Amino acid sequence: MLAVTYDLASFLEENWEALLQGLGRTLKVSAIAITGSLVIGVLLGAARAHRLPVVSPLAAVYVEVIRNTPILVQIFFLYYGLGQFEVTRMDVFTVAWLSVMVWGGAFNTENFRAGFEAVPYSLREAGLALGFTPLKNFVNVTLPVGFRVALPSTINTFIAVLKNTALLYVIAYEELTTTAFNIQALTLETLEAWTVLGVVYLALVWGLSALIRLLESHLALPEAT
Amino acid sequence: VILAVAEWVDPVVHRLLEDGLTATLRIAAISLVTSTLIGVTLGTLMTIRFWLSRSLIRLYVEVWRGLPIIVTLFIVYFGAPAISLRFEMGPFTAGAVTLTLWGSAQIAEATRGAVQSITRGQHEAAAALGFGWIGRHVWVILPQAARRLLPPLVSLLIGIILNTTLIGIIGGAEMLETAKRMVEVVNAPPPTGFGDRGEFQIYAFVMVVFFLICFPLTRLSAWLERRLVRA
Repeated sequence: MLAVTYDLASFLEENWEALLQGLGRTLKVSAIAITGSLVIGVLLGAARAHRLPVVSPLAAVYVEVIRNTPILVQIFFLYYGLGQFEVTRMDVFTVAWLSVMVWGGAFNTENFRAGFEAVPYSLREAGLALGFTPLKNFVNVTLPVGFRVALPSTINTFIAVLKNTALLYVIAYEELTTTAFNIQALTLETLEAWTVLGVVYLALVWGLSALIRLLESHLALPEAT
Repeated sequence: VILAVAEWVDPVVHRLLEDGLTATLRIAAISLVTSTLIGVTLGTLMTIRFWLSRSLIRLYVEVWRGLPIIVTLFIVYFGAPAISLRFEMGPFTAGAVTLTLWGSAQIAEATRGAVQSITRGQHEAAAALGFGWIGRHVWVILPQAARRLLPPLVSLLIGIILNTTLIGIIGGAEMLETAKRMVEVVNAPPPTGFGDRGEFQIYAFVMVVFFLICFPLTRLSAWLERRLVRA
């Protein structure tokens, strides 16, 4: 018979520092990966939407490979697979942000491709008629309009990136999930650890989802309403 | 030029495909069926305007969709037995339960939308023919909603196949865990192992196998979506 004692308060009291540090790492890796995946998404999404030679087909391959293979295998490949060779060996932190960034970048490429392609051709034509160069036309016309179209699905990708940082447990990067796992492995306070983990992730994910709904109503394109 | 193939390649590929891939596909098939059954039921029930059932199902959907799947897996595999030993289960069962919680949440949401897209007239016509609530949904509404459910179901299958790799974390020998064990064998010095390095090739191979399975499914899902929009 297992003696079940559930004491969340004393669990938090003893481990709050470690948990907070773990949460900090989760947020740090997420922030780096989200920023990077946004840049990748805008650049490659634009290349895809404008069918830029060479870059566009390469970006398509990148997107399909990332979307159709498990992110866990991608992490293993980056850390252990590339770790086999001196030149491509990376430390845990680099693989941590790189793996989730590359994953998010692929999904954002798709999000922005769809967003940029949704910009009516008449708008771009008008920009060109005003004498914009193709690059200026993209920056001043396609980007601001397409960005708003792509934003909700992009934030969904950001949420998925944040959730995926939990998988960094497999390379022992001490973010929130790894921290909670290690604490309960030591103290056997299993239920307390999972309670904290569940509450924190749901708060983050639900909070960001609420933000999408808020943004959606604010940023809806005039013609869409 | 004939490529020199290391002696470990043949046995490793066999183990990966015969043991690892088989386990992956079996668990994916089971999880797909249970996710669909539970998800369609919950999604249909969510269309009933009764606040208690609605908010309970909504909570179920938001919790299992919101949590990282690895956290759900830890809760199911390590957390549940801490409540009662009756909930103790093997890695594959825990994996199937986890994927079902996640998958049914996705399908419940999709089903709710699909059922609500069927016009009132269909409900009324079925009621006029003498169908009760259950008969009306099983024989009239859901068959029509199924068309709309097909693309999300294919996406779910892809998601489930990709996420079966999580079961390796708790020691279930699916594709990725089998690959991990094979890497250990290849890297171990003889006589137990081959005294070679195999991480790069083995994990690359695992990626190729998943790609070959999931890429056609992604295309299928996109095609179904386009057909649905046109229709």
